[in-house]
Amino acid sequence: MLTRRWGWTVAVALLCAVLLFPFYWMFVTAVLPTSQVLSRSPTLLPSLADMSFQAFVTAFERKPLATWLTNSLIVTIGATTISLVIAALAGYSLSRFRTRAQELTGLTLLLTKMLPGSLIVIPFFIMASTFHLIDSLWALMLANAAVGVPFATWLLKGFFDGIPRDLEHAAMIDGCGHLSAFAYVIIPLARPGLAACAIYLAILSWSDFVFAKTLINDQARWTITTGMVSFIGEHGIEWSALMAAGILSMVPMIVLFLLLEPFLVSGMTAGSQR
Amino acid sequence: MSTTALRRGTLARRERLFAYALLAPAVVAVAALIAYPMYLIFAMSFREGKSLNFLALNTRPFGLGNYESVLADSATWHSVWVSFAYTFGSILPAFALGLGTALLLDRVFPMRRWLRSLVLLPWAVPGVMVSIVFLWLFDASFGVTNYFLRSLGLITTDIAWYSNESTALVAVIVPTIWKSYPFFTLTLLAAMQSIPGNLYEAAEVDGASPWRRFTDITWPGIRPQATLALVLNGLWAFREFDIIYAATGGGPSKATETLGLRAYNEAFGYFYMGRAAVIGVLMLVIALLAVLLARKQMRKEFF
Repeated sequence: MLTRRWGWTVAVALLCAVLLFPFYWMFVTAVLPTSQVLSRSPTLLPSLADMSFQAFVTAFERKPLATWLTNSLIVTIGATTISLVIAALAGYSLSRFRTRAQELTGLTLLLTKMLPGSLIVIPFFIMASTFHLIDSLWALMLANAAVGVPFATWLLKGFFDGIPRDLEHAAMIDGCGHLSAFAYVIIPLARPGLAACAIYLAILSWSDFVFAKTLINDQARWTITTGMVSFIGEHGIEWSALMAAGILSMVPMIVLFLLLEPFLVSGMTAGSQR
Repeated sequence: MSTTALRRGTLARRERLFAYALLAPAVVAVAALIAYPMYLIFAMSFREGKSLNFLALNTRPFGLGNYESVLADSATWHSVWVSFAYTFGSILPAFALGLGTALLLDRVFPMRRWLRSLVLLPWAVPGVMVSIVFLWLFDASFGVTNYFLRSLGLITTDIAWYSNESTALVAVIVPTIWKSYPFFTLTLLAAMQSIPGNLYEAAEVDGASPWRRFTDITWPGIRPQATLALVLNGLWAFREFDIIYAATGGGPSKATETLGLRAYNEAFGYFYMGRAAVIGVLMLVIALLAVLLARKQMRKEFF
């Protein structure tokens, strides 16, 4: 029985190796010298002696990667925080009270699922121009937050639905106001939901390209996605440096994802059982 | 009695106020950043001509000219076709891959948590980064894909995947499959895990084959979520922009120009805001039709 279970592990691991080949190839390309990268018969299993991390240094020398990564980080943290706060309040309200807004949440969510980013960016551009927010990271934060709020609200409402009302009623009988009952009793219980939500929102903002490309012109304010795309148009792409930069640009989200993934799965499971 | 009724009345009012106060930020955000922009798109679609000054759009002549010119343009219908080919071409294989991986993960085995994370990992990669990685994998001269195909004897001359009109669409579909299958894995796995285990035990006792167990227990159990996931991921692929834009920009000669790409190019390439808005309206109409087709499932989930 035990060997059969390990057999399953091996099967899934092999499948992973195939599915994750693009990651492996990025890494191999980043650490091998150009002569082996630009080759008609590439080295599939490089020897340790050939590896060098020079490409990572080159990437930082060629492009202001540090600036772009910082900008992405600022936008991601800002947008995630804004949407998470808004969505937690709204999700709680929708879960506990019957209001007219309840009928509209589903519609709003569906609408955002149908609204293409390359389309909504046009009015965003007009609005940002009106308020002189072109080239401002604030515009990016707001744009990303707007896209995230409906789904985050819906996800959190599901989580709050799963928390018994008696808990905050008990707290309120003990003399707690409704808001503090929410803050001190419900929020700590909803932590897995908040984590699932945060990772979803963070990946959404970190991945954004169309807003950053359209609302930001100044190279010093670019995010990592716009920066990475600027590599492509160039003559004779330096693949090693590009893959090194690509790895650096993915590391934050991959680490976050690997750590918080169980919350995401439990979040989806809770959502589908409702 | 009247005082308690009165108190209950004020309590109810205070509750309602509290409920709306909590909702207020979300309502403001949705109104200002989703509803108003959508109104702007509709308003823009009636403003004719081209303008470099986005703020002066409402001084342009008002009329249905944009609708006439966009709907009569054969390039629009070409884009509709490309959008459908791209959406179905990526979503169906992604669904198959997602279903397969979910079935594999719906077991108890050592290291399951980490392997599950790894299977889902491509989901965390930004679209443009997916595109860049595949640009390299599908590179015409040094790409590893051509190398594999050469080694297997499937091709003798290298394929210039992204600059060839007949292969460009495939070359943007493959990265899209890679990015979108984890969503299927995640939702289908969640659905599978909510199927009661005793159903499988009963089937085991009755000696049902694995295939029968799948068709009689698993599939009926996950069907609603599978439909929903197909619609949602279909809507996502239909409006996907990043992957295609970074890989081909819609080229070569419009071979990968989906409606989303076309709307963007009309707006920020040629400055025909009105035409871009009409294409956007067209996209929304098509998406709405898809949602209506699946309305039974959607209603259960969203309303």
